[in-house]
Amino acid sequence: MSFVHSASIPVVEAREVVKDYGEGPTTFRALKGVNFHADRGEFVILSGPSGSGKTTLISILGCVLKATSGTVRVLDDVISDVAESELPKLRLAYVGFIFQGHNLIMSMTAQENVAIMLALRGWNATDAAKEAARLLSLVEIGDKLKSLPGDLSGGQRQRVSIARCIAGNPPIVLADEPTASLDAQTGQLVTELLHNLAKKRGHTVVTVTHDNRIFHFADRIVHIEDGQITQEKDSHS
Amino acid sequence: MTTSMTSTESAKTTDDSAPRMPTKAYAPASIRWRTMVTIAWRMMFHSKLKMFGTLIGVVFAVILSNQQAGTFLGLIKKNTMFVEYCGADMWIVSPSTLTLQPTKPMGISSLYTARSTKGVAWAEPLLFAGASIQLPAGGSEPIQFVGTAAPRYAGGPWNVVGGSKASLERPNTMVFEDSERERLGGLNIGSVREVNGFKIQVGAITWGLLPFGPSFAFAEYELARRMLKIDADQTHFVLIGLEPGADPEAVKAAIMARAPEVKVVGRQEFRSLIISFLLKRSPIGITFGSSTVFALIVGFVIVSLSMFSAVVDNIREFGTLKAIGATNGDLARIVVTQSITFALMGSLIGLAVITRLAAVIRSPKLAIQLPPEMLIGTTLVMVGMCVAASSLAVLRLRKVEPGMVFR
Ligand SMILES: Nc1ncnc2c1ncn2[C@@H]1O[C@H](COP(=O)(O)OP(=O)(O)OP(=O)(O)O)[C@@H](O)[C@H]1O
Ligand SMILES: [Mg+2]
Repeated sequence: MSFVHSASIPVVEAREVVKDYGEGPTTFRALKGVNFHADRGEFVILSGPSGSGKTTLISILGCVLKATSGTVRVLDDVISDVAESELPKLRLAYVGFIFQGHNLIMSMTAQENVAIMLALRGWNATDAAKEAARLLSLVEIGDKLKSLPGDLSGGQRQRVSIARCIAGNPPIVLADEPTASLDAQTGQLVTELLHNLAKKRGHTVVTVTHDNRIFHFADRIVHIEDGQITQEKDSHS
Repeated sequence: MTTSMTSTESAKTTDDSAPRMPTKAYAPASIRWRTMVTIAWRMMFHSKLKMFGTLIGVVFAVILSNQQAGTFLGLIKKNTMFVEYCGADMWIVSPSTLTLQPTKPMGISSLYTARSTKGVAWAEPLLFAGASIQLPAGGSEPIQFVGTAAPRYAGGPWNVVGGSKASLERPNTMVFEDSERERLGGLNIGSVREVNGFKIQVGAITWGLLPFGPSFAFAEYELARRMLKIDADQTHFVLIGLEPGADPEAVKAAIMARAPEVKVVGRQEFRSLIISFLLKRSPIGITFGSSTVFALIVGFVIVSLSMFSAVVDNIREFGTLKAIGATNGDLARIVVTQSITFALMGSLIGLAVITRLAAVIRSPKLAIQLPPEMLIGTTLVMVGMCVAASSLAVLRLRKVEPGMVFR
């Protein structure tokens, strides 16, 4: 059973989203009324100068932060209405994350790192171990199941974190600078993997990047500057 | 092998597990615990040096607190040793008696009162006083002098390892303690010494009868009475043995009704009196109590600090776990698992060391008492202490923002 949503209804959608950091006179408005949407199977790149609000935006889309005002919807849930304490559950239900650093648990093997994600999503240990092995083969490091992150290369670690991110099949994949700590060639390969998550598996992938060498993978590039979306273009047109 | 996702494959390849409508199924507590326990142990054993440091703290606390509490129990044992060895079910004592120590003599009539009370199998007088023994090289040493009535010898000697207690029936003969032989001038069976101005001969040797003060030395009641210059109508204590099935409370009441000038205490009651005297009237309770507490505080601080620093070291990993959906409760499970593991591992090592140590240094002079209740008790205290010590770390984890992992 795949998503019942048609392409015309976005998987994730933000309307007039404002985000203020801090309180009182030191309040800083990081997002100033942002409208954003991404569809099923779409690969969207979010780009913009440092401090423009990219991380803030994907944190809100990923149910990590709450917007100060505006509406955020993921599938049928209006997450902007949900209490802060419910956010972890929403993350488990909807979102897989890939970070700039791989952010793996250094004391656990590749397979265990992926299995943790599945366990949090309610899988039992045996099924989780099997599925973790399957996902690691999918990202082509099926031979590194028992390796600790410390024994893997940067690219291999990022593959593990991609396997972790899709473990349990969240509809949305959010990546913040996933290639920043990789060399150009590995960066290309990892981006290709992310692209395939959207195209072959139907995840909605939103990737933050500065790296214009990977822009050509995107279905759409959204440019953000000073907390506002300044430009949106279909990269294939 | 499963489908690969690189461009080397045809674009038409689809994976069998495309995203589905998410179920908001949340892992049940059993799976969460399992997962968090695994993470906890992996993190713990990953930084072995840190783990070792924390363990040393717990082991230290376990050893020190058991050693202090064990020595304290040993002292209690030394102080109650006489009452425990002694065959008396009841003691008649003067009303002002707070503990077993040399006192002014009381009238001996209560001895006869006791002997004629229903339920009493036997009653014997006991002399219990300080005395001194002349050393061959000059000078003297104190002894705890006990006058014990033949032939029952309810008031000792016990643990006779050389000679026999029947030797006390010979004229001017006494029994001394083996562990104090050197201090008493190289005593041996047959040695002649002067005690309280009387020339006496050593008839037998006991083992392990070394109370907190000077060692016990026994003489037959009549000899002791003459040596201590106690009148025939006086004594220090009366020991009572009950007939099988006699009601101690009834016997006690019957004696006290007929001899209102004395106090009758049961064996356990006397033991409790001695212990509470020790706790209230001597600094022993405070001394050992405070060093036990000190050991626990040191352990608490070490565990507290190392749990906290372990959290700070791994803060990014904790943040990641939070970002991918772990709750504050899940992270607390990790820290609590680690603290309980430290407590149990530390206790296991600490108890192994202290029991070995206690066996090696065990002697009549210094006997550390380590009853199983105490070993189990300290382990439980350690678990409680370590869990409490981890609360600082748990509070820190509550403050971790999942968004930190993007920075
Ligand atoms: N927790 C916070 N408290 C206060 N200000 C914050 C906080 N997080 C971000 N900001 C500010 O909000 C603005 C947007 O930050 P954000 O991290 O979203 O930028 P970004 O586009 O991801 O930048 P970069 O490319 O450097 O990662 C920045 O000016 C930043 O200083
Ligand atoms: Mg950023």
